[in-house]
Amino acid sequence: MNLVRMLNLVVVAALVLAAAYVYKIKFESTLQAERVAKLRNEIRHERDKIAALRAEWSQLDNPSRIQGIAERHLSLKSVEATQFDTLDHLPERPPDRVSPDASDPIAAMIESLRNDMPTGTVRGKTP
Amino acid sequence: MSPAQPWHRRMVQSLLYGYHVDREKKAKARLGLAITVFALIYATIAVRLVILAVAPDSHAARRMGPQDAVATARPDILDRNGDVLATDIKASSLFAEPQRARVIDVDEAVELLTAVLPDLDSNELRDRLGSKRRFAWLKREITPEQQVEIHRLGLPGIGFLTENRRVYPDGPEASHVVGYVNVDNQGSAGIEKWLDESGLADLHRAGFASDRQQKPVQLSIDLRVQHAVRNELIAARDKFKADGAAAVVLDVHTGEVVSLVSVPDYDPSNPRGALDFSRINRLTKGVYEMGSTFKALTMAMALDSGKVKISSSFDARAPLHYGRFTIHDFHAQNRVLTVPEIFTYSSNIGAARMALAIGVPEHRAFLKKLGQLDRLHTELPEGHDPIVPAQWGELNTVTISFGHGLSVAPLQAVMGVAALVNGGILIPPTFLKRSPQEAQGLGTRVIKPETSAMMRYLMRLNAEKGSAKQADVPGYYVGGKTGTAEKVINGHYVKTRLLTDFMAVLPADDPRYLILVMLDEPQGLPENNGSAVSAYNAGPTTAKIIARIAPLLGITPRFELPPADRLILASAKETR
Repeated sequence: MNLVRMLNLVVVAALVLAAAYVYKIKFESTLQAERVAKLRNEIRHERDKIAALRAEWSQLDNPSRIQGIAERHLSLKSVEATQFDTLDHLPERPPDRVSPDASDPIAAMIESLRNDMPTGTVRGKTP
Repeated sequence: MSPAQPWHRRMVQSLLYGYHVDREKKAKARLGLAITVFALIYATIAVRLVILAVAPDSHAARRMGPQDAVATARPDILDRNGDVLATDIKASSLFAEPQRARVIDVDEAVELLTAVLPDLDSNELRDRLGSKRRFAWLKREITPEQQVEIHRLGLPGIGFLTENRRVYPDGPEASHVVGYVNVDNQGSAGIEKWLDESGLADLHRAGFASDRQQKPVQLSIDLRVQHAVRNELIAARDKFKADGAAAVVLDVHTGEVVSLVSVPDYDPSNPRGALDFSRINRLTKGVYEMGSTFKALTMAMALDSGKVKISSSFDARAPLHYGRFTIHDFHAQNRVLTVPEIFTYSSNIGAARMALAIGVPEHRAFLKKLGQLDRLHTELPEGHDPIVPAQWGELNTVTISFGHGLSVAPLQAVMGVAALVNGGILIPPTFLKRSPQEAQGLGTRVIKPETSAMMRYLMRLNAEKGSAKQADVPGYYVGGKTGTAEKVINGHYVKTRLLTDFMAVLPADDPRYLILVMLDEPQGLPENNGSAVSAYNAGPTTAKIIARIAPLLGITPRFELPPADRLILASAKETR
């Protein structure tokens, strides 16, 4: 009989705990659902704002507006076909002073300049 | 308790014994019943919980506030580089519920509202507020500042609804392509109307299109090219005092329309006057006799048939008499002309004789194959059937060979000429972005590749020696053909009212783009002795447009190219 009473007590305690737990979960889920709704709303607002900004951006970016501003403020002329050139007309790149695997390119450049200088310079320490 | 009773009766009885059974048994039975009932209840709850947890949140997604009821969203329209041509922004609209507003003083409300919204008509407002309707719009699309001010007035029976408002940040730049919407956000013209026709309207009716979650529509239009072309066209229209001007830039390999301009146009944000006849899209809705540019089609037909060679010649010594008609040449040479000469001198007589040599049914069949005799269907709902002679006799073939007597939509002619220069594939033009692979599936071969090479040669030769000299831009190897047609007024051709057009291939040795420039009734300028033929207006305008758009289209200028007979003709003969 004692065992049955114990069992009953345990079951009652479990029931209370379960009820409390369910309440907590329910409360949290309501909270989460509200957050979701709020975030959805925020996302919609943000999207609307992005759309408005994009519309404004393309209004400002509109070529006829840019052309108007450029004509008013810049003394640039339209590009001529003669101003274009192909890459193979580009002269050869001058030989590198610095080897590409040098760890400190500036130091290597100074070194190579020093090597070009007449002998007799003092190498080494900085004061 | 006999065993003949059914099992459920026995079960209930075993659970609920009468007074005569002992208490312990009775208690046990009742407890059993309670356990069963509770177990059932908890099982139901458990199952329901699982269902709720597993099923998606469908109710919340479909739930829409009342203010979304009219907010029909449309997909954004972008140009080929992703620049916005049309987009939705949210805007508030002001409405009244006059039945409820009757309690307040209508005159006071009118006074207060017109103070905030000066463009409201006070009489109309008074009528609307005084009516017995449940709902009346007062003003659509007000600014946020106005909304705050009206809200502060605290008028009862007046409220705001959030609506999607369509905005066109580029104004009239691409108006004839993009089209416009009415105040209820339904497409009325252009791509906007096409969007509705291709399923968006059904979405709206079903109530699914209220949020901006729709895939944007990417057009083939390049906004930068579109602007440059429009800018030059407006300048040309002013310079030559033309009624209208139009131009189209077509990618000859994909059929994409990179730019389509027809001025005068309209502002899609304020499309009043868009339906005015002078503002129609001249390239798809208008049909015109295209003049000498049609000679390109005649030449291609003759060369493709094999009956005429590039070295053949035709008699153009005297005007061609046909019934009571006499066909003259504009630049009469009065001698026997070879095929390239017919093209460069734009000889009507030569073209007519060439078409007659091929035959009337063949001529008709060729134009049919090139899509010149049927209505051109593109995404744009604005279109017009070509005007084809009902009885097609020899005289019709004679006149149509040089572009008179058959009226087509200019975009249609562009499609045909593009097929002549791109290697011989007819590709239906489109306003949506299209990949070369897609275009390959859509194209049909209409002429041989060798004929196409000959056509490119003729076009380039014309820019080196013939009437298209004015349109040649050094460095871009332009080829082209002029066209001048007299307009028909009351059934007669009028010499002073011309339609001039110019077809240019860019570049002629390996075409990538075809450009058509068209001027409607240009006036002659004194420096051209008052002449208003194509070579003096449409030609130079094309040159200006090419000089501006070629860098945008990524065409490298080349200056050391040999003339057409060495570059195009020689290589065409080699490959044969």
